[in-house]
Amino acid sequence: MRATRSFSNKCLLLFSILSIAASSLTAQTLTKKQQDSAYLLNPSQERIRKIKKSLAKKFVNFVGNDVSLFGALALSKQNINDNGVTAPINYVYNTVNNNTFNTGYSGGFRIDGIYKEKHRYAFSFAINRISVGNNYKNKYSLSPFIEDFTHFKADNNFTTLSIAAHYKKLLPVNAMNKYKFYAVFGPSFDYKISRISNEQLINGAGNRAIINGDLGAEFDNKGYYILYAHYKLGANLFQSTVPVQLNRFEIGMSIKAKDLF
Amino acid sequence: MKKLYILLLAAIAFTFGSCNKETATTQTDVMNRMLTNKNWYLDYSITGTSTKSYVGQSTYFVTYLKDGTTKDSDGLTGTYSVEVIGDQSQIHVQLKTANGNPLEVIYNIISVGGSNLVLSKVVTTGTPTQLYFTSK
Repeated sequence: MRATRSFSNKCLLLFSILSIAASSLTAQTLTKKQQDSAYLLNPSQERIRKIKKSLAKKFVNFVGNDVSLFGALALSKQNINDNGVTAPINYVYNTVNNNTFNTGYSGGFRIDGIYKEKHRYAFSFAINRISVGNNYKNKYSLSPFIEDFTHFKADNNFTTLSIAAHYKKLLPVNAMNKYKFYAVFGPSFDYKISRISNEQLINGAGNRAIINGDLGAEFDNKGYYILYAHYKLGANLFQSTVPVQLNRFEIGMSIKAKDLF
Repeated sequence: MKKLYILLLAAIAFTFGSCNKETATTQTDVMNRMLTNKNWYLDYSITGTSTKSYVGQSTYFVTYLKDGTTKDSDGLTGTYSVEVIGDQSQIHVQLKTANGNPLEVIYNIISVGGSNLVLSKVVTTGTPTQLYFTSK
């Protein structure tokens, strides 16, 4: 009985292997139409090729581009000026004010290269989960109430998409052929993609676009990886009833994509 | 290539155009959320320079329920709505007195929060009374 069951199991296994092999064989066999199209120009591929060619022509001075993936820890705090809020809403100051840096994270990719063989740059694209400590600049009180309050409550967790263009200045520190230190600066732009709460939208204060000035240092270990620390000082891109100053410290690491995959 | 630029410009315009999504009901939504389903206890009433304190006393309270009805410790019941007229936020209360007569009372909202509420009763003549409530 056991021998019969074992035989039938083996048959099943053999059948499965044969069917997988057969299906893979059929997958490799091209149809007449596929065979014909292999010799013809694919319009979409041709378009991509043309775009690549045109970009290469336009950005001829941008050379040595390396794509890296990065991850970073972000410490954030925002200073909030709610003087412009007219809505008669109060939040007890001590419950919403948190004058500390909270921890978030970000990840994305960056392109490092050299412009005209002289100026080093980095373009980065990231998604950021920002957890932020809120520091409210103004306190209000309504006598005979004792407690201080604010008129506005900002979101302390949000997600942004960001782009950055950084200029990298090589610093003459140590053996520059092995380890490279850079001073980095440039602008970056964040766009909030997470839902903005109704509390933050009061009086049109819910600004999604943030423009930053970035400053930092980077350590390149023989091209294997880059360790970096950036400080970002951000403000609303558009005028708002509640001007917000966003301070961020990012500590991260980037590794070349070709070393990873 | 021209099409690509147009698409890019359209995407940028859409992105910046959708920056502010405040609606007409945003403010009333937030105020309603703070106001409803709590007992608001009267702590102070101020008329002109005269301040009356009810702190520590068994005193008047009013409740605004989520379904748009209101009741107070005096047994008055009715309906209410939060409205923003011009820059002024108000609570419009439609009450029925003990005799069954309808009565409308309008309060200007001076400040509303999770635990503090300040109202000013709208009066046609005389000095308006400011009412200071806390929720417990």
